Amino acid sequence: MFLLLFLSNFSFSQKQPLLKLSLREYPKYGRVIIGSSSAFSYSFEKNGAFLLVKIEAKVPFKIQREPFENRFIRSVGWSRRSDSYIISIEAFRSDFVYAYFEVKAPFQLVVDIEAAEKSSPVIVEKEKKTEEKKPEPLPTTLTPPAASTSPPPSPTPQPQKQAGPSAKGIKTIVIDAGHGGLETGAKGKFGTLEKDITLGLALKLKALIERNLAFRVVLTRDKDMDVSLENRAALANNNKADLFISIHCNGSYRKKAHGSETFFLSLNATDEEARRLAYFENSTSALEGQIEADNQDEIKMILWDMAQTAYLKESSQLAEIIQKELNLLLGTTDRGIKQAPFKVLTGVASPAVLVEVAFISNPEEEQKLLDGEFQNNVVQAVYRGLLSFLKLYS
Amino acid sequence: MDQKKILIVGFLALLLIIIIVIFFTGGGNEKIKQSREITPPELKTQPEVPEEKKKIALFFLSEDDDLLHPEEREIQAKVSVEEEASEAIEELIKGSQSALVTPLPPETKLRQIFLTKEGIAYVDFSKEIQDKSLSGSEAEMAAVYSIVNSLTYNFKSIKKVLILVDGEEAETLAGHINLSKPFAPDYSLIAQ
Repeated sequence: MFLLLFLSNFSFSQKQPLLKLSLREYPKYGRVIIGSSSAFSYSFEKNGAFLLVKIEAKVPFKIQREPFENRFIRSVGWSRRSDSYIISIEAFRSDFVYAYFEVKAPFQLVVDIEAAEKSSPVIVEKEKKTEEKKPEPLPTTLTPPAASTSPPPSPTPQPQKQAGPSAKGIKTIVIDAGHGGLETGAKGKFGTLEKDITLGLALKLKALIERNLAFRVVLTRDKDMDVSLENRAALANNNKADLFISIHCNGSYRKKAHGSETFFLSLNATDEEARRLAYFENSTSALEGQIEADNQDEIKMILWDMAQTAYLKESSQLAEIIQKELNLLLGTTDRGIKQAPFKVLTGVASPAVLVEVAFISNPEEEQKLLDGEFQNNVVQAVYRGLLSFLKLYS
Repeated sequence: MDQKKILIVGFLALLLIIIIVIFFTGGGNEKIKQSREITPPELKTQPEVPEEKKKIALFFLSEDDDLLHPEEREIQAKVSVEEEASEAIEELIKGSQSALVTPLPPETKLRQIFLTKEGIAYVDFSKEIQDKSLSGSEAEMAAVYSIVNSLTYNFKSIKKVLILVDGEEAETLAGHINLSKPFAPDYSLIAQ
């Protein structure tokens, strides 16, 4: 009976994949999310106030559309051709800009529509990824009525915004390669330096994420250089990081120490600070009126210093998920997830973890850290952890 | 009978007056006593008998697990907590006398220990404590908590420990653990 149900379900979904259109509104742009049970190929054409998304489809989709109201998108319509669908997104004006990115598992094509600003070099920031996917011109027969009055679509790609998030707004991932420059970090018996291993892993992880996800990845350093711990957190916050992952190799006075572990922040705040913080959080505006500018600065500094406190729950989840993947892929001893007052994590205003991949002070693990395949597994594990975490919040 | 009654009432009245007088004057004396107790707190800690041995436990690492293991020492009883604490830390730097692992670089020097009224011990080390070659979160956690736990465990008046390097606040020992705030003890790191 169950099997039958399952089979019928299965064949149904095979026959008629779902195409779900939903809309979101953000302060600066409107978003159309085209979700599907299976990945599809697509192309864009901008025509007047319309953005046409052509979706290849061998079998008919079952289309689901949410009702909407949006300051940026006037309407969303769809029509069926022999082997494709055209989703037409209508903006309020013809001088809109659009950006798009994909989210995998479940597959989603996310299209953002923004009213063009006369001088907005901000959104010209591009990634290789978006360059690869230049909008292909569509057959002229597909142009809507608006086409006749508007100038022909420009062949150059529209300015693309930095790729963004899965459903709940994950946009930027900051990867922190531990140490660097004069701060070599731990040293292995064979002379391996922690700073080199962490940089290699960070670069690999960035490449893997950018290859598969349309997230923006920012590194706290992309070469051998000194970066202060405070600047690492500041860089993450200035880039509005949605996730922060610091990569380290462990070192111990115990020769036999081995294994992998993932940390999130533990607080080592004095009671008084905790009280001030709680008070400040509860009555921000009231307090601002009361205290003088000097004191305000001081309190803001304490707040900045403790930015991570607001994200401890998410950080612990992220740590748990990443540790699980490390255990599956590395074959190292599971040292579990732990809390410690890491300086680099305290100021980060997003979920943040620190991965201690393995002990560079242990010759056996030092060899592993040098091994390309082991490194790939580390990167793969962290990447998978990220994916699971993102699903949790989508 | 009437005279007796008057006598009793008179006696009671007198008693009442005496009680009231004692209440007020005695109360006053109490208050003075209390305020006397508050003023000289240092005197209470001073009178400890020198030339006496004291047993303490110092915490080291073990190759078998990643917990802190106690090792007993005898130190000279001193007049101040700071002096006793200094001896404890110097013993810790000298290292384990058994097979335990010392989580501090042997070149490290203790410069000074200063204890505040609030029970925060400022422990000032020479810069050798920032052991860059062994930098690793495990090494740093071990260094920090061997110091913190060794002090708080043995000296009741030390509630928290702030680690200084060369007389100044340091960000970290080698890039990991935040030293800007005093550490409370973490006895969960101690092997049972």
